[in-house]
Amino acid sequence: MAEDDEKGYRWETEYEKSWEELTEDAAGLLQASVDEIALKAKRRKLLDKLGNIRLGMMRHLYIIIDMSAAMEDQDLKPTRLHSTLKLLENFIEEYFDQNPISQLGIITTRNKRAEKVTELGGNPRRHISAVKALVTRSCQGEPSLQNSLELALQTLRHMPSHASREILILFASLTTCDPGNIKETVKLLKENNISCSIIGLAAEVRICKKLCHDTNGRYGVILDETHYKDLLAQHITPPPATVSTESSLIRMGFPHHQLGSDKNGHEKPSMCMCHLDSKSTQGFSSTGYFCPQCKSKYCELPIECKACGLTLVSAPHLARSYHHLFPLEAFHEMPVAQLDPSVSRVCHSCQAQLPESNVYVCGKCQHIFCIDCDLFVHETLHTCPGCASSRATQMSHMSL
Amino acid sequence: MSDRKKASLLVVVIDTNPVWWGQRLVDQPDKSLTQFLDSIMVFTNSHLMMNHRNKLAVIAAHTNQSCFLYPRAESREAAGGGEPGGAAGAHDGKYELFAQVNEQVMEEVKNLILTSLEGHSETDSLLAGALAMSLCYIHRCEKESFTGEDLSSRILIIKGSEDNPAQYMNFMNAVFTAQKQNVTIDACILDNDSGLLQQACDITGGVYLKIPQPSGLLQYLLWVFLPDPTLRLKLTLPPKAQVDYRAACFCHRNLIDIGYVCSVCLSIFCSFSPICSTCQTTFKFMGLPKIAKKKQKKLNP
Amino acid sequence: MASTLSGITSGRKIDCKDLHSYLRTLSASILDKLYNHPATCLAVFRELPELAKHYVLRLLFIEQPISQSVVSLWVDNKCHSEHQEVVHVLTDIRVWQEQPLPGGMQGWILSPTFRQNLKIALLGGGHSWTGRSHLPPDKYAKDIAFLDKYAMERWECILHFMVGSTEGTAGVSRDIIQVLLNAGLMKESSSDPLPTISPTGFQFLLMDTALQVWFFMLQYLEMAESKGLNLVDCLSFLFQLSFSTLGKDYSADGMNETQLKFLQHLREFGLVYQRKRKVMRYYPTRLAINLASGISSVNSTPHAHGCIIVETNYRVYAYTESPLLIALIALFCEMLYRFPNMAVANLSRESVRDALARGITAEQIINFLRTHAHPETYKVGQVIPTTIMDQIRLWELERDRFKFTEGVLYSQFLSQSDFELLRDYAQDLGVLVWDNPSKRVMVVSRAGHDDVKKFWKRQKAGNT
Repeated sequence: MAEDDEKGYRWETEYEKSWEELTEDAAGLLQASVDEIALKAKRRKLLDKLGNIRLGMMRHLYIIIDMSAAMEDQDLKPTRLHSTLKLLENFIEEYFDQNPISQLGIITTRNKRAEKVTELGGNPRRHISAVKALVTRSCQGEPSLQNSLELALQTLRHMPSHASREILILFASLTTCDPGNIKETVKLLKENNISCSIIGLAAEVRICKKLCHDTNGRYGVILDETHYKDLLAQHITPPPATVSTESSLIRMGFPHHQLGSDKNGHEKPSMCMCHLDSKSTQGFSSTGYFCPQCKSKYCELPIECKACGLTLVSAPHLARSYHHLFPLEAFHEMPVAQLDPSVSRVCHSCQAQLPESNVYVCGKCQHIFCIDCDLFVHETLHTCPGCASSRATQMSHMSL
Repeated sequence: MSDRKKASLLVVVIDTNPVWWGQRLVDQPDKSLTQFLDSIMVFTNSHLMMNHRNKLAVIAAHTNQSCFLYPRAESREAAGGGEPGGAAGAHDGKYELFAQVNEQVMEEVKNLILTSLEGHSETDSLLAGALAMSLCYIHRCEKESFTGEDLSSRILIIKGSEDNPAQYMNFMNAVFTAQKQNVTIDACILDNDSGLLQQACDITGGVYLKIPQPSGLLQYLLWVFLPDPTLRLKLTLPPKAQVDYRAACFCHRNLIDIGYVCSVCLSIFCSFSPICSTCQTTFKFMGLPKIAKKKQKKLNP
Repeated sequence: MASTLSGITSGRKIDCKDLHSYLRTLSASILDKLYNHPATCLAVFRELPELAKHYVLRLLFIEQPISQSVVSLWVDNKCHSEHQEVVHVLTDIRVWQEQPLPGGMQGWILSPTFRQNLKIALLGGGHSWTGRSHLPPDKYAKDIAFLDKYAMERWECILHFMVGSTEGTAGVSRDIIQVLLNAGLMKESSSDPLPTISPTGFQFLLMDTALQVWFFMLQYLEMAESKGLNLVDCLSFLFQLSFSTLGKDYSADGMNETQLKFLQHLREFGLVYQRKRKVMRYYPTRLAINLASGISSVNSTPHAHGCIIVETNYRVYAYTESPLLIALIALFCEMLYRFPNMAVANLSRESVRDALARGITAEQIINFLRTHAHPETYKVGQVIPTTIMDQIRLWELERDRFKFTEGVLYSQFLSQSDFELLRDYAQDLGVLVWDNPSKRVMVVSRAGHDDVKKFWKRQKAGNT
């Protein structure tokens, strides 16, 4: 953030001749050049990711949605609200996919008030249905930054100290209507080690920038819908842990899917805890996940046991976030000409003929890859095919 | 009818662990790797026979490396010169393409075994690497496939040797990628039940089958694994097995129901310890009594 | 699956059968003989419905009949109708046969020849498909690019001949003309020494190349049979070609008389390349190999090198230099401009109506545009704008605005009451088609004419 301040505004910087990077290929086409720039940009993004920092894996995040009149603007299609809610649904799913032991809650603000839509919880379906329901609500009046922050603060301050506490605000308005001095609230947030990030839908606002800066959050203003998506996506990966986050061992249950039966071993259908309130017959079956501590039944994981408070997960849920903790090191870029001529010029993982330009070499196993595989491996797979298929390198990074 | 043509890419991962196959040879001298390969070849031929757009790749998961058996890397093919398949096609009534595939696979297996004779052999195979390679290959094929074509991909793992917990992370990364890319993972188990593969199949919606009679491999392959996932809905197939999703603790590798998870690195432990053995974090002792109190409160009334 | 091509079924439309409907027209003995070659079995197998393929493979290694009730348990209950259909197809083309089980139940067993030869294709064994001898390398070996060029040249030669352009007509032999005439693609006229294209011919031109070849070969085979060529030999050879490798040479040694003759014809069509008639070595071209895909595709595969972009403003852009393709587009478009590498045309009501008048259907035009669509259009998601497709269909419907009903006109009534009496009677019977009281005329349908006439006669008799 400090860097940003020095950089100043874009319109104050030198004139950029961005088109000069484009060069025509033999056929007089620009496509190849454009593709290359796109791939390079992706790679650069990957290189920016730093490895070996402590991350706050257990996140408690409140999302504050601005539901003021400014949200009705149609610069995002069909309206800012619709577009936001659609992206948010996606975000929630991804969030729980990547942060299996984290929790999330939603707050809206309009008419100078803040309202809690969902409590902090670990069930993506509940949040998504709440978000879907928001579409029908009307947007009114002015938002209140302070009220909504205070509301989030009330819950977050009681969260365990080993968790990372976060607030993400999707802010469409250029104004806020607060009952008191918001700077006091900012101070309070800072004391409670809560980081606030804001995604602005309109233009940069000084108080937002200050809030994010003081609480170690990120502030971004969207350019268009794709940029909005990118900014949201940045909040999916767990943030680095702050110094004051404490670490602890958390008790968790690993229930397995089994048949409910009575003492004589007869099959016995029962209602699961997650669908108790619903009127439908959904959730009434003989199989399910049983909490190993109190034997309450649930039909899906991960969930926090309603009876005894134990977090119930399955081993793969934890495994999903290992790649954040043990990121794969970036491959080295190398011109083909420097390759040992005796090495076959084929990508190790996809068997494609290597192009004339650059190849990518894994620093550990020394296998070579094409750029497509390089991106695929780092963006999605998170495992080097070369390292994984050699005994010496397969156990690479189990220590931080 | 839709505009898009359906094609199916099948990647077969064969476990060629020499230790396991060697042991089998001692127990039952008539069930050698060659015979199993023959069955697998008939199966791959059948897959190619289903549709002329169908594609195939075969990867070996060996004890100290994993490598492609088919298709052979282009550059090596060019260097090899000649047309080994051409000669094969001419001497009997087998469809030329099939003969070519089979011959290539056999030759590569031979190469693989000859080159890995020396050195230390482990009892498990590098499955995670083979999976990662298949996913990269699938990724490439989907990218290259013609825009009007609908390529659906799946992976079949034919495995005999045991699991190796050291592969866990690489393996799970590959499984989640498969899930994301809509790639089904099937597993055909010849001997040792594999917890890892059970999870992989369950997560990606594939079939996990431990075959009771390895000599009937071909029939199992043709009946259960040849139909692609869309067709499987229509056929009566063996029911899905219950999958054990319990975690194994990092300290003793025991399966546990309730465990302790490090908030920094998510390592799982079966008992409370003040220092995480994976990331060396010292834990505050506060967490435990608080939860224990909560538990008591809930259990008493 | 087992029907004739969609959209081209009714009388005047071109009737192109897929492989199964073709096989159904063959007699049982010919079918059994056909299955004597692994290539035919392979081709037939590939064209089976998905489920049927699995049935065949499951039965392939079982030597005894399997009870029918067991087979029906293979599928889920929900798909019973699909199962029935598959049973029907497999029985129809004699891939499997009914055989009673010892217990008195009916069972299915694969036809022995089919089983045997499919096994050979899959597992090996038996004789080699092509000549016994191994070929030494060809001094004049041809690469794939050459073969593609050769094949397309030959094939377009035929198409050029059909549209009557001068390019390459010299290369069209009497045999080809004969096939074209027989198929009704062209007709002979007294005024012109060369035959001219027929409405079906236009439809043929708009088909996908693979489909064209298949249709043409079917017509050829029909004719060949009447000329005494052995149908089984020809078909087996054709299927064998479709399973060969592009760019590889095969020996013609060991082929019988029929097959050698057939080979010469195929050479003429561009399905195989042979350097000289006497050289016992041939290269199959893409036309022959793609035959396998042409047989089944009801909606033909999109071209890898498609070049047409249709815009919502009815403009058609074709990035091509091929005079043939441009001529084809001109069949239903108004050509506007020609550039070195592209042509611009306009779809207008007149141009489409002209095409429709020639016997081309709207569906064929759309299909043509779709199969030749530029790859970029696939990325957008919509190959042809919906409005354009709808408009072309509407223009076709426009031609169907008249409904013809046969009828008898009653006129020259002496009084209004007579007219009304008869009209009401006809109306009650439900046979009145049209009436005009002011002119005292009415039309009665042909079926009702007798009744109405009798009634009128009775009336007149009663009055007098």
